[in-house]
Amino acid sequence: MISVKLIIIGLIQALVVLLVAPLFSGFSRQMRAKMHNRRGPGVMQNYRDLAKLMKRQEVVPEQAGWFFHNAPYITMASTLLVLMIIPIITTQSPFGWVGDLILVVYLYTLTRFVISISGLESGSTFSGIGSRRELLVSVLIEPVILLVLFVMALLAGSTNLGVISTKIATGQIPYYTSVLLGMLAFAFASYVEMGKLPFDLGEAEQELQEGPLTEYSGRALALMKWGIYVKQVSLVALFFAVFLPFGSMTSILTGVPFLSSIIFSIVIFLLKVLLAYFVVALLENAMARLRFIKTSVITWAAFGAAILSFVFYLANV
Amino acid sequence: MDAIQLLLLSLLFFGIGALLSLLFNGNSRYTRLIPGMMGTIASGIGLGSAFLSAFSTPSPLDLPAALPFGHFTMQMDFLSTLLVGMISFLGLAANLYSISYIEHFSDRNLGVLGFLTNLFIAMMLLVVTVANAFYFLVFWELMTLTTYFLITFKNKRTEANRAGYVYMLMAHAGGALIMLSFFILFITTGSFEFVDFRNAQLNSIVKNSVFLLAFFGFGAKAGIVPLHIWMPSSYSEAPSHVTALMASVMKKTAIYGILRICVDIIGPSVLWWGLLVLFFGALSAIIGVLFAMADQDIKRILAYSSVENVGIILLGIGIGMLGLASRQPLMALLGFIAALYHSLNHSLYKGLLFLGAGSVDYRLRTRNLNEMGGLAKMMPWTAWTFMVGALALSAIPPLNGFVSEWFTYQAFLTVFNSQVFTIRVVLPLCAALLALTGALAIMVAVKVYGSTFTGPTRSENASQASEVPGSMISGMFLLALGCVGLGLGAPFIVSFLSQVVFTVFHVTGFTVSGSVWVYPGDSVNNMLSTPFVAILLMSLLVVPLILVAVYGGNKAGRRVVKDPWACGYGYSSKMSISAGNFDHSVATTFKGIYLLRSMIQRPFLSIANWSRRVRDQITRMEPVLEGILKKPITKAIDFLGQKIQLFQMGDVRVYCLYIILTLAILLVVVFQIG
Repeated sequence: MISVKLIIIGLIQALVVLLVAPLFSGFSRQMRAKMHNRRGPGVMQNYRDLAKLMKRQEVVPEQAGWFFHNAPYITMASTLLVLMIIPIITTQSPFGWVGDLILVVYLYTLTRFVISISGLESGSTFSGIGSRRELLVSVLIEPVILLVLFVMALLAGSTNLGVISTKIATGQIPYYTSVLLGMLAFAFASYVEMGKLPFDLGEAEQELQEGPLTEYSGRALALMKWGIYVKQVSLVALFFAVFLPFGSMTSILTGVPFLSSIIFSIVIFLLKVLLAYFVVALLENAMARLRFIKTSVITWAAFGAAILSFVFYLANV
Repeated sequence: MDAIQLLLLSLLFFGIGALLSLLFNGNSRYTRLIPGMMGTIASGIGLGSAFLSAFSTPSPLDLPAALPFGHFTMQMDFLSTLLVGMISFLGLAANLYSISYIEHFSDRNLGVLGFLTNLFIAMMLLVVTVANAFYFLVFWELMTLTTYFLITFKNKRTEANRAGYVYMLMAHAGGALIMLSFFILFITTGSFEFVDFRNAQLNSIVKNSVFLLAFFGFGAKAGIVPLHIWMPSSYSEAPSHVTALMASVMKKTAIYGILRICVDIIGPSVLWWGLLVLFFGALSAIIGVLFAMADQDIKRILAYSSVENVGIILLGIGIGMLGLASRQPLMALLGFIAALYHSLNHSLYKGLLFLGAGSVDYRLRTRNLNEMGGLAKMMPWTAWTFMVGALALSAIPPLNGFVSEWFTYQAFLTVFNSQVFTIRVVLPLCAALLALTGALAIMVAVKVYGSTFTGPTRSENASQASEVPGSMISGMFLLALGCVGLGLGAPFIVSFLSQVVFTVFHVTGFTVSGSVWVYPGDSVNNMLSTPFVAILLMSLLVVPLILVAVYGGNKAGRRVVKDPWACGYGYSSKMSISAGNFDHSVATTFKGIYLLRSMIQRPFLSIANWSRRVRDQITRMEPVLEGILKKPITKAIDFLGQKIQLFQMGDVRVYCLYIILTLAILLVVVFQIG
């Protein structure tokens, strides 16, 4: 269950994603600029932003309380824990002895809970509306995510992400129609969760002043932004872990040198995430904004795909 | 001393407490202190009895020939022990809380409040331990009556009377169904004893009708969806410490009834029972949470959220029954563990939230969310404890609500072993529905906590609020501690709950917990460790701190400005998001379901209206009948009455003395025998 190697791998995963997450967001930012025919700030701009924000004085409204001040820290901590549980480097879940995919889903919930309360706590109209939107999106998306993961768990016979990942990687669960449909629904759901157009919520700078983040500034804003970057990468990682775990080590106990295989897996993982970000950026920039109230009309499609995936599971195809 | 004797001692203390609160009726200082203190002591003893019984099951108590209608029998198997523990713990917290809280009602008769509260808790304890259908019904009805008087306690308000009326109607309709189900069992077995019910060979017609009657009868008390209409109004009208008890443990006596009658005694042997329970569970969960989303009254929201939670508990019970019926022990085990665990959790956090709502009401004299706001600064302890409750309600790991939802999901997952197609279809869909419910529940929790304790203050009273007295804080703190304890101590709790399922529902062959882990049947694949989650989350908080330190962020400092940013205009607290506009988006997204509400409530409300009209008609006809029928009868009664008057002092307190004396004599008899 608990092995030292797995613990080390878990820590490495969290560290790697923590460090490279701003890079990927920078990449998508740069790509958007290119598609707009602008020069763009360069892929490293997010690091520069974060470094600068960290040094800035924090300005907080009087009403801000415990949740407002601690939300950035809690967001970061719970997302890092998610990254330790998701199989990234190996197809095993490094911290699988702590919890399973249900824990992962609810750790995202913890993040959402503290962020939306912090938005309400600041007393700002913008952050209040942002919190509400954040929660409504989760209401629409959470059933999709859970139903898809549930079908995968049924196929694997376990809710442990490592078991699902391993069974997909070794072909014990072939790509049934149900898996493919689930993959589609899950991709859609994590796309929405990442806060991208046309469901742009977290980053709706022009419209909502960045939603719940409106009143944040200085180091708290830096941590919040960083936390959100990490969360976006973790969603992509979760998608790959469940549906496309190729390139990850299937076992850490074989004779392959430990260090080099870790490095190899990390490189593969980063390339996969880069690809995902490329696709996401393409989609995002090809779309217009949608009126928020219409979101529910579109998310039904995702729920439909998830239901179909379940129906195909029942039919064993 | 064995556990049942200790429980009787606790009941004795409740009785004395009830009596003393009536005796000290006039003196307001003692009236405030005595009922709460006595209740606290009695609950403490009850808790001791539950602990004792958890380690060694006491032999059942049997009082033969002492009373008519069969033996007065009491037994404490593990299921009863669990319930006794829950009721006592909540009784402890609520009584502690009530010592300062009842000042709120100082214009009313506090002695009666103390009397009723103590009696109410005692009746709940008796309901879950008595093992004879007749006495079960007696105590069940007494429980209903005491709560009726508690709901209408603030009877200056017509809302309270109306709430009490609807409650009475629903509770008695439910009570009648339960009575009928026991009556059927009595006819077929010729006995009122649960033991005889259990051992009897029942044919399927009897079983089905008993199941349906008992399920809907207890369902009315538990508040499953079409029968829930009494809850929001009566929960919001009763004093908060009573509401806390009603929502957390009185509901669980109904769950206990369902488990005792439908599972333990008649035993689910057909699939459709489980499916029916599952259906009503899912319906209650989703409808309850949507209605909670739409309300602005803090106690009504919590009441609707209780409907939702009963739904989740019923999902667990439904899975358990399906597991028993389809002979899948693991499914049954996980389903029942999920249901029992969620019952336990719900009683703690909902009790806590109702006490918190009471504290806010105590200071602000309002239950409207739109008149609160920013209370965390003025009432830090209330805010902290309420936050724990809200987190637990939202099933945030590593708190207790998460563990029971985890078990519910794991119970759903056992479907992959199932060969029955219906089960394979229904369970995963229910799981998706549970996910939707979970997401909405978070929205409710954020709305309630957010608009009560955060943001700007939205009324005069709110800006002048101050922290509540120590006894109220300690009551809430106790429950908050319980929420954390039940989350982190999951392996320990689960091992006890599995014992409950093993002994009472006869499912064996699996282990579900070990050292710091809980797992669904085997520890190879998936497991959960709440202590590790807590430790890791705590230690990972270091990472952002390090990041800030590395970048030199600590030097920058923090400047507090008065108002949040408002596009350069002057800020007003009216700009902030209040509860009213918080749920607007949900209302538009789930418009159709909200239409259902009026459809569901209309028939029940019209029945209530109709019965009121009948009552009015009868009152009108009375004078006509008087001359023909009433006079001779009244004369006879008058004559009898004069004879009986020797016993009747016309004072409620004296009648209560009779009751207590009877109880005391009974207890002496018991101790003589035991």
